[in-house]
Amino acid sequence: MSKGINPTLHTAALAALESGLNRALQLAPATAAELEQLQDCIFALHCTAPEIDVYLQPAASGIRLMGIHEGPVTTSVRGEASDFAELATAKDPAATLINGSLELQGDSAPLIELQKTLASLDMDWEAPLVDTLGDVAGHQVAQIVRAAVGWGSQASSSLTRQLGEFIHEEARLTPPRLELEDFYRDVQDLGLRVERLQSRTARLRRRLQKLQG
Amino acid sequence: MTEKDTTHFGYKEVKAEAKAGLVADVFHSVAARYDLMNDLMSGGIHRIWKRFTIELSGVRKGNAVLDIAGGTGDLAARFAEIVGDEGRVVLADINDSMLQVGRDKLLDKGMQSNLEFVQADAQFLPFPDNSFDCITIAFGLRNVTDKSLALRSMLRVLKPGGRLLVLEFSKPDNDLLSKAYDTYSFKVLPFMGKLVTNDSDSYQYLAESIRMHPDQDTLKDMMEDAGFERCEYHNMTGGIVALHKGVKA
Repeated sequence: MSKGINPTLHTAALAALESGLNRALQLAPATAAELEQLQDCIFALHCTAPEIDVYLQPAASGIRLMGIHEGPVTTSVRGEASDFAELATAKDPAATLINGSLELQGDSAPLIELQKTLASLDMDWEAPLVDTLGDVAGHQVAQIVRAAVGWGSQASSSLTRQLGEFIHEEARLTPPRLELEDFYRDVQDLGLRVERLQSRTARLRRRLQKLQG
Repeated sequence: MTEKDTTHFGYKEVKAEAKAGLVADVFHSVAARYDLMNDLMSGGIHRIWKRFTIELSGVRKGNAVLDIAGGTGDLAARFAEIVGDEGRVVLADINDSMLQVGRDKLLDKGMQSNLEFVQADAQFLPFPDNSFDCITIAFGLRNVTDKSLALRSMLRVLKPGGRLLVLEFSKPDNDLLSKAYDTYSFKVLPFMGKLVTNDSDSYQYLAESIRMHPDQDTLKDMMEDAGFERCEYHNMTGGIVALHKGVKA
């Protein structure tokens, strides 16, 4: 268990997190079925900052989170909270595990499988609405929510793009990415040419010394 | 009457052979609304205490588990899910009313394939030696007449390497919390008991029995005296509850 953390608080936090995760999984039956394949695996997540240990066991009925586990584990991962967040959101978890600062012990394949399964969580928000409000009203509300979410994400990406264009092109507060990359490439080229020039002058100096000697 | 002939029933001194009957009356009275009262009294925190017990038990697929004083089956239900069909969970309680409520609740949930229900006295467990991988007793030990005898009986039926977990009310580790807890136990609990189960005496007994129960270190010593090894305890909610763990060598 995590040192220095009150067992009641630690257990309560894990119970709340587990309950939230499992509610989300109930709305994504396909993900729950994929988790069943990993039901004999135990994943140990040792977070060093903040210092918390969490053991995760997938099952068809959902995910079990534990603060203590005394048996063997399939995969053990150690790192800071930011490293775990990077892994959780990575498009290529294998590359993140290899290149990131997480320390891994055991079999990485089930962990990658788990990350992919959870990252592709596709929740059916309509099901609980239909259960509560009935078929017609539930579907209508779901359509409105879906349209609102779609409009929101479109508006957000459009706003981000326009804000970027304003900062780079109109206000000229920072150079655009392509311009900056071009500049970096030029600096790199210049560095290489300076190195080459240095070695050429060194060679000429050696030759001059030979002729004088 | 010698000291051995008498025991505590709350703050009262009663004949040892009378305690089981008196405790039985308490639980006959509260059995029907036991879960509701637990939630009300603890504000639902008893679920967190039990969850921590399950984590510390280390129970896994295929294990045999005995839940003594299992009452309405909160722990047994979770253990039954964990051990799976290859495992075995025995829900034992000395009180037939509590056992009846627990059995009905679990059967109504469709849990039966790996569950057994046994009316048994913790002091004289009716199981062969070395039968269980884990034994739990949650909020039950303080009601047992001879706790040392019960601990020895549990040691006998545990397999070598098996774990005993005792979840029980204990002594708060902070004076301020202790005073607030006393006021709550002796003023609020009996009133709540009167409202919900129409029985304030049972909840007065609950408060008194908690105060008469051995504190954390005494219970740890008792477990060691009974023959358990690697004994340890974890205080929860400021020591209001403690979880003791011991292993059979």
